[in-house]
Amino acid sequence: MNFEDLQKTWQSQDPGAKVTIDTDVLLKEVRRNQRHFWAGIFWRDVREVGTAAFMTWVFLHLAILSRVWSFYLSSFAFFGVGLFMLVDRWRQRRKRPVTNDPLRSCIEASLIQVNHQIWLLKNVFWWYLLPLAIGTGIFVIGLAWNIPMEGRMSRMELVCFLFGSAAIICGFSFWFVYWLNQCAVRKSLEPRRQELETLLASLQ
Amino acid sequence: MTAEEQETIFRRWLDRHIGLMLKVVRGCAVSPQDQDDLFQDVLLQIWLSIPAFRGEAKETTWIYRVAFNTALAWRRVERRRREKHETFLKFDASPQAQSNHADSSPDREIVERLYAAIRELPKVDASLALMHLDGLSYHEMAEVLGISENYVGVKLNRIRKQLADQLKGANNEL
Repeated sequence: MNFEDLQKTWQSQDPGAKVTIDTDVLLKEVRRNQRHFWAGIFWRDVREVGTAAFMTWVFLHLAILSRVWSFYLSSFAFFGVGLFMLVDRWRQRRKRPVTNDPLRSCIEASLIQVNHQIWLLKNVFWWYLLPLAIGTGIFVIGLAWNIPMEGRMSRMELVCFLFGSAAIICGFSFWFVYWLNQCAVRKSLEPRRQELETLLASLQ
Repeated sequence: MTAEEQETIFRRWLDRHIGLMLKVVRGCAVSPQDQDDLFQDVLLQIWLSIPAFRGEAKETTWIYRVAFNTALAWRRVERRRREKHETFLKFDASPQAQSNHADSSPDREIVERLYAAIRELPKVDASLALMHLDGLSYHEMAEVLGISENYVGVKLNRIRKQLADQLKGANNEL
């Protein structure tokens, strides 16, 4: 059998012959999938940007009510994180791979996206954890500074005690968040990048 | 594009090109469960791509692009989000279920061996093999993959040899 015969045999198969499709249910399902797809993206944005927006509002509200300047700074830190996420999401959305593009363009776009995700997660300390840590630190110091003093503890001791406690709690939480992000890079994103690079290399 | 137009095109493509979509799915996923899962993903992406279709590319070229791009990005872990889906198709991909024109035993066996051999190829080569077997021109294959026709030729020579090695015994003259 030569290749042409093989092609004929291949083309004479009808893989759809044993597939029975209820087109109406399929359409309903595809639409449901589409809604699920966009809902997933929407809720991810709400979760990440929404949390930052909510915290911004909380601290702003507290600042306006209590007139404590440190709350403004905390609010600003959360606002900065939210704004960064929003701008980054908006910029990346324009670079999203399009499935009807040629394979090579689609792989290149996916690679850019994965590289960006790796960059984001590797630098999560700088754009997410550090601003939040600064915001939390300022909030705790401001809080300690404004608590009415009644006990034997001096103001400076109270500030040190609260700041130290917050530093330990935040330190552990932030380390955990950082560790989770680095795990995601190692276990999911790096293999995906290698896979895409291999695919791209096979097209060059 | 209105929703009705999108639906009309989708139904037409499904009617005309279901075989093509299933070949890509069978060439890229092994178990029936994975094939079913990937098929749903391919259908979703084809549906989403329809508003961008302007008729500049051939329908088959377009569908191949979407199907291959989806297959390359597809991940098994994605399956969990579709567990509650309604059954809209009975998708029996087992060799026994493949009633076709090539349903005499030796031909069916050759097709099955080809699918197995294609799945062993690197992903891009598998895409090329599927299109080549379906009789697409070098120009069409180059369009789907975004590479030059010359390079398609070079790769196909290599792929033919690889397929021949894997099908040795069945097709010595490949």
